[in-house]
Amino acid sequence: MSVTAQLSTSELSQAAIYFPDGLVGCPDWQRFVQVVDTDEDLPVSVLESLDDPSVQLLVTDPSLIDPAYSAPLTAADLAFLECTEDDQPVTLCTLSVAPDGSISANLVGPLVVNPGTRRGRQIVLADGRYSTQQPVATLGESVA
Amino acid sequence: MLVLSRKSEQSVLVGDDIVITVLAIDGDRVKLGIQAPRDVTVLRHEIHEQVQSANNEAASALSPTRLHSVAAALRGRITPSEESPS
Repeated sequence: MSVTAQLSTSELSQAAIYFPDGLVGCPDWQRFVQVVDTDEDLPVSVLESLDDPSVQLLVTDPSLIDPAYSAPLTAADLAFLECTEDDQPVTLCTLSVAPDGSISANLVGPLVVNPGTRRGRQIVLADGRYSTQQPVATLGESVA
Repeated sequence: MLVLSRKSEQSVLVGDDIVITVLAIDGDRVKLGIQAPRDVTVLRHEIHEQVQSANNEAASALSPTRLHSVAAALRGRITPSEESPS
């Protein structure tokens, strides 16, 4: 089942996002399309792998989870993303849903994407500030 | 795997520009100093494994039908005021 089929009006972003190194521990996950719901302004979107259709990553803006969140990019990251002065990289974090419905965010390994070049990289914040399983919410509990 | 025996304050050179030095040994704890170019990522291996594991969980945990319920749960968390019916 494809996520696109679930969204009443979905829109594929104009081009794939390319992670030349894949993701951490998953080097084959290189090309994704970001699927957003154009009917509703959802705080989440889906990165759908073009390399492995079974891989669909639910992503959000980590600053929605931790307003003080910061994922500083090194000069090497900026070069990797081919950022010019005008480019403003976007930071996303993946969400997981446990069998009990609890949702957690990986704040240690955010995905940074340069919308200009559509290149992406997963960076790792190893300074201990964040968790790979930051509790976010539980399905059903926060819904009015 | 290359196995080298090193004493405290001795080093290993990896390539031209990475130096790993044994700074101190205390029981089962070894303190390492690593000099590497800024563009070389140095990680505790378990952090790498945690991120890999989080990636695999994120990829497998999403049932597409849950997209809107996850969005709702997240939104409820972000703006709790939306939870109370007006």
